[in-house]
Amino acid sequence: MAFLALSHVSFTYPQAGNAVLRDVSFSLEKGEFAALCGVTGSGKSTLLRMLKRELTPLGTLEGSRIFRDTPLESLDDLTAASAVGFVMQQPEQQIVTDKVWHELAFGLENLGLSQGEMARRIAETASYFGIGDWFERPVSTLSGGQKQLLNLASILVMQPEVLLLDEPTAQLDPIAASEFLTTLRRLNEDLGLTILIAEHRLEELVPLCSRMLVMQEGRIAADGAPAGLIQKIRDVPGMLEAMPAACRIHAALSDEPDSPLTVRDGRHFIESHYPNTIRSLPAEKKTIPEEAALTFENVWFRYDRHSPDILRGMELHVRCGEIFCILGGNGSGKSTTLRAAAGLLRPYQGTIRIFGKKLREYRNQTLYKECLAMLPQDVQTVFLMDTVREELEACHADPGMLPFDLSDILEQHPYDLSGGQQQMAALAKVLATDPKLLLLDEPTKGMDAGAKQQFTAALRQLQECGVTVVIVTHDVEFAAACADRCAMCFGGQIVSAEAPEHFFSEHMFYTTAVSRMTRGYFDHVIHAEQAVRLCQMNGGRSCS
Amino acid sequence: MRQFSDYNPAAVAVWFFSVTGIAMFCSYPPLTAITALGGILFYLLGAGFSHGKTHLFFGMLFLVLALANPLISHNGVTVLFVLNHNPVTLEALLYGINSAAMIVGVLYWFRSFTRIMTSEKLLYLTGMLTPKLSLVLSMALRFVPLLRRQSEKIHDSQLALGLYREDNMPDLIKGKMREFSILITWALENGITTADSMTARGYGIRHRSTYRRFRFQAGDILLLGVTAVLLGICAYVIHRGAFAFAFYPAVTMQPPGYLAVCGLLSYAVLVLLPFGIEMEVGIRWRSLLSHM
Repeated sequence: MAFLALSHVSFTYPQAGNAVLRDVSFSLEKGEFAALCGVTGSGKSTLLRMLKRELTPLGTLEGSRIFRDTPLESLDDLTAASAVGFVMQQPEQQIVTDKVWHELAFGLENLGLSQGEMARRIAETASYFGIGDWFERPVSTLSGGQKQLLNLASILVMQPEVLLLDEPTAQLDPIAASEFLTTLRRLNEDLGLTILIAEHRLEELVPLCSRMLVMQEGRIAADGAPAGLIQKIRDVPGMLEAMPAACRIHAALSDEPDSPLTVRDGRHFIESHYPNTIRSLPAEKKTIPEEAALTFENVWFRYDRHSPDILRGMELHVRCGEIFCILGGNGSGKSTTLRAAAGLLRPYQGTIRIFGKKLREYRNQTLYKECLAMLPQDVQTVFLMDTVREELEACHADPGMLPFDLSDILEQHPYDLSGGQQQMAALAKVLATDPKLLLLDEPTKGMDAGAKQQFTAALRQLQECGVTVVIVTHDVEFAAACADRCAMCFGGQIVSAEAPEHFFSEHMFYTTAVSRMTRGYFDHVIHAEQAVRLCQMNGGRSCS
Repeated sequence: MRQFSDYNPAAVAVWFFSVTGIAMFCSYPPLTAITALGGILFYLLGAGFSHGKTHLFFGMLFLVLALANPLISHNGVTVLFVLNHNPVTLEALLYGINSAAMIVGVLYWFRSFTRIMTSEKLLYLTGMLTPKLSLVLSMALRFVPLLRRQSEKIHDSQLALGLYREDNMPDLIKGKMREFSILITWALENGITTADSMTARGYGIRHRSTYRRFRFQAGDILLLGVTAVLLGICAYVIHRGAFAFAFYPAVTMQPPGYLAVCGLLSYAVLVLLPFGIEMEVGIRWRSLLSHM
């Protein structure tokens, strides 16, 4: 008896040598909240698509798929469409119609329901998801988080029994992402909805879910409750890095099977096992020249004569050769700052200088020649060729000269790459103009933990070659790992700019999980590695 | 108790096309006067007195159209003066004023119509005719702002990547073509996701129904009925030729008979229907408010 199950499923795409899924078997009980994890390319998306009949790709499929004790193939159309809901990664492209209410109605119209039934379900769903306020709005005016919530609601209105989600929060900022995950948790608890979610962002998901399925090269490498699973996934490459900070610290220090998952449990683990006689690591001195690469002096900007100011007297000072991260919430003006620095927006007051020269004095595209380049948030706006190789040749970039390796994706279509690979390919294109100042807007969107590490390494290499990097990001952990200095943007101004150790240990909410975990116990600790080193230096406390 | 713009879109559309249809099908100056005045009044009722530029534009248009006819057409018996060896006649001038009033009047009506008929109401109307067309329209309406925004993003990112070599024409054109090609690729690639999302939600498994946000209430049926009766009277009057009017060679107008007066009155009532509805709403509100 199985609610939702795969047994001995293997799948090969047409004209592909290797199977994407190899002998996968598992079953989900009703009401389970399971997370599906694994590095990019381990077959998570394909597995999810196996469970939704309408989206199963063409190819050779072996094994059987069961839903409510019936083979998936013999379900009637109506049940197959409505009982299994599927939410995809891109918030924008999943939306079909132009108005919020119509999007909610779309699925019900397809099922051919009556007016009264549709009106009732839509009203109920809109109230549950708090959509009432933007029910009448055109979808183009919604934020990314709202769009993804709408996508979820327009599936839920069809009253599914299982919800499959393929990296639903990859394109969202952390606050929207955690709201989305909380909503899922609520659906699971309130309605007993069965949920299977594929995700990179595990820090918040792992404590929520009741079960984890870990995939490795098309197989299920580990399966079980999250706390007990950590020891099993040590051998799965790239998996441990993706786990919550508490798990990583625990895994590095201890062999006990039960791992802490949340910040609270991690803090308890450290405080009960390690003394804090040594409170901080010896500070590493970094010397960065005072010479300025990018400065903003009292810059004011608004998009329209009648709209409010976005930048209000912005003052910014980025030194030559540093990696500078700007953090801040939505609408704080950080992306606008970057676009103004790239000369894409014209402030109505104030001066922006690039390497000491006023931005306005760069004429005839000289700004973009061997001086400044910006990688946009949506890297799909960068690609125009059929393969990465043509892409690089078109802008005279030599793949051999890059600080990272692209050789195994050269023949692929840019749109077929994973988020991290797309970002790397776009970075290679940007580097072709030999910029001295590189501006990056949200580069870690859609990247898994491994890709982030690679990306950080590539940025460090560029820094060695003398490139100044300014990054706008929501990703606190990434900023902590790669920045020389971090700045907080709020209300169109830079509020504080400091080295990450000081920056994050002074912030209370806008900071890394490890910083929250060790606050008041250790000083200036922001990474898991630092916490592990400090614990080892302090030596274990005899178990109490 | 609803404002006129809140009535069922189908009823409003039928009423609207009756008003403009009658105006366009006969060239009877008293009727044209009602059309033009009604159109302006109805526009003011909806949009208030703030749209000075619109009125200026329509005023200029009226002048141009009215004066163009006597300059082009030289029919008519009453010569006012001679311009470049061509006679300018009173009849041609009057004809020009009449048609200009009709055109400007109808344009005012259309302006009001587009203000009342939001995309949602138009979709409701097309949905009543064919649900598929309505869905296609709705998807198109989503795509317009989406593509515009994406094309701006593409332009910015290509510019900041340094892909424009110089500020000159050939480079600019090449760049624009490149941006267009990226936009098309993007739209096609992402269309696959949209298609997936549609299939996943059961598109095409059975006959689609349409979710209607507007219902037919008693008031809508009343509006439809009254419109139909008044339209019928006007059509009968036109059919009987009571609205006949000739500008050329000389202005001849029969003294309006019983039929013509009937026709004019029904047309006037038709035009004034929304004003009546608004007034009724206003009075009722006032009395309701006094009890609050």
